[in-house]
Amino acid sequence: MNDEELFRKYRETGDVAIRNAIVEKYLYIASVIAKKFVGRGVEYDDLYQVASLALIKGVDRFDESKGSKFSTFITPTITGEIKNYFRDRSRLVHLPRKVSELRVGIKREAERYLAETGKNATAKELADRLGVSEEDVIRCSEAGGVVSLDGAADREGENVSLYDVIPAEENVFEDVENRDAVRAALASLSETERKLVMYRFGKELSQMETAKRMGVSQMNVSRMERKILQKLKENLKKTMVE
Amino acid sequence: MMELFKMRVALRSDVMTTVRLATGGVCSLAALSYDDGEDCKVCVTESLLLLLRGGYACADVTFTEGDALSVLVEGEGGAAKNAPCEEDEIALALINALAENVEMRRQDGALRTIAFTFGKQA
Repeated sequence: MNDEELFRKYRETGDVAIRNAIVEKYLYIASVIAKKFVGRGVEYDDLYQVASLALIKGVDRFDESKGSKFSTFITPTITGEIKNYFRDRSRLVHLPRKVSELRVGIKREAERYLAETGKNATAKELADRLGVSEEDVIRCSEAGGVVSLDGAADREGENVSLYDVIPAEENVFEDVENRDAVRAALASLSETERKLVMYRFGKELSQMETAKRMGVSQMNVSRMERKILQKLKENLKKTMVE
Repeated sequence: MMELFKMRVALRSDVMTTVRLATGGVCSLAALSYDDGEDCKVCVTESLLLLLRGGYACADVTFTEGDALSVLVEGEGGAAKNAPCEEDEIALALINALAENVEMRRQDGALRTIAFTFGKQA
């Protein structure tokens, strides 16, 4: 069965076995693209997983009747998902390297102390062994691993993220000026562009959701977004100079 | 527009790491963001691999600086072939997905030049 027939049959039947056959056939593309993004601080396995999920989603979205090849369609789709993954990941807050290293040292020494004496070490004992201050040991023990700004800010798990509660530096006058500048910059956009800005930054929809609402592809949204931001940046610069 | 950097590279897979490093340096000089720099490295090496599979012996890579960083990769020497494989399709789609203003020129049916740009940080 050729690709067109496979996709048509999958579309007609919704048979997961057919979808899996398509995914398996094109899994190498996920692997090829994932490899292109290695070396940016994310393990290949994680990238491959993101790429594979994009491939599965892509099979559902591909329209074989448009005449394009699946490999041509899926490459930007996978690339877009990987780029989104990098973008989302950059919102993670990492501990300074020194703190991370000391945390590892504290854990190792605490286990060693327990094995030697059968007792849990105090902060002072660990500090003496590691040649650091007691305060450093306490501070590092309290520091968590990686914290996501999207994580819940309260223990009850209400819908408030850390990102929402971090106070912004307030300057009312600047805010008013900025709002005016933004309004002027937005006025220079076309209706379609303003619609995209509203979906993406007003309603904070994902690129995928925005694409669905606007009846275009996610890649289109991504490209338009980049161009709009560039246009806004230039307009804002002009407004600020004036 | 000012030519920032130009290099002629032998189209062999063992020089790709050096090309990536040089491209990274140029992107840094041109004040591209980290992500754009990494994407640019991918596009340059994919372009070179396209020309390598196309039968060229070497290629000129020219970086020009203006409002954006423009990159032109042009095949030279060798006998160019016109038999694109699936790897080529993926490479082209990848370049199109990562770079702006992608343009390709063919000579006698075979791909000869690939040009693209990357925006700069404000």
